[in-house]
Amino acid sequence: MKKPQLENLKMFPEKPELSISIPSKTELLKMVVELASHIATLNHFSPSESQKIALAVDEAITNVIKHSYRNVIDEDIKLEFYTAPDGLKTRIVFTGVPPVLGKLGVNLDKMIKEGKKGGLGVELMRRIMDSVEYKTVGNINSCEMVKWKKKKSAV
Amino acid sequence: MKSFYIRSKLVEDTAVIYPKGHLDAHNVERFEKEMLKLLGSEVVNIVINCKELNYISSAGMGIIMGYLDEIREKGGDIKLCCVDQRVYEIFDLVGFTEIYDFLDDEEAAIGKFKDVS
Repeated sequence: MKKPQLENLKMFPEKPELSISIPSKTELLKMVVELASHIATLNHFSPSESQKIALAVDEAITNVIKHSYRNVIDEDIKLEFYTAPDGLKTRIVFTGVPPVLGKLGVNLDKMIKEGKKGGLGVELMRRIMDSVEYKTVGNINSCEMVKWKKKKSAV
Repeated sequence: MKSFYIRSKLVEDTAVIYPKGHLDAHNVERFEKEMLKLLGSEVVNIVINCKELNYISSAGMGIIMGYLDEIREKGGDIKLCCVDQRVYEIFDLVGFTEIYDFLDDEEAAIGKFKDVS
C-alpha cells in the first residue's frame, strides 16, 4: 500500500464537496455504494475503480454499524467526499466504540480452517484504497480513506 | 424493493445457487440461510452461479468462506461460475481466485465435481 505524502493530502480542499448524514441502518448501504460510485465516476475514476472505491466505503460503514454501534439503528454516521484533480478522499465520522484494527494482511487458509465469516472488510479497504486511517479524538471517531488516480503512462 | 434475490436447484447431487443483485451486509442473512438449507440436506457439492450477481461485499464473501472447510471435510466443494468481470476483481483482491475454482459456465462447474467422483 502506498503511503500518502503530506503534501498530497494538502491537495484536498478543507471543506468536503459533498457531506451527508445517515442513520446506522444497513438498508442504506446500497444507497451509499451508489453515491460513492457516482462521485468516483464523476471524479474520472474508471467504472471498475469506482465500484471498488464504493465497496471500500460500504465496508467502512458496515464496520461502523456492526462494531462501533453494535447494530443499534439510528445512530449518526456522517459521510464526506473531498475531491481533487489527482484523487478522492472519503471521511466517515461516527461515535460509539472506537475501532480496533487488526494486522495488515489476512491468512485466508487459516480463516477457512477456522470457519471465519468476518475479517475481510478492512482487508478489502486496505487493498482498494491507497491509505486508510482511523482516528479517535475524544468520543469522535473517523475513518479517512484516500484513492489516488493512476498516472497515465506515456505512449 | 428488494435488491437481492436467491434461489437454488439440484442437478443430480450438485446444488446450484443463483444469487441475484446486490449482496451486502443487509441481505447476507438470506444467502446464509440458503447455504445452511443445503448443508442441512447433506448436499456438499455446491456451485454458485454468479451470472446475475452484480455486487458483493465482504459479508457475502464471508459466507462463501465460512462453510468451505466443513463442506470440504464432508468431501464436497464450492465452485463459482459465470462471474462478472468487476465482481471477479473483488474476489481476486482478497485471494479467492487461488482458493476456489472459477468456471466460465454452469455446466463446466457441475462437470468439475464429476471429474473428482
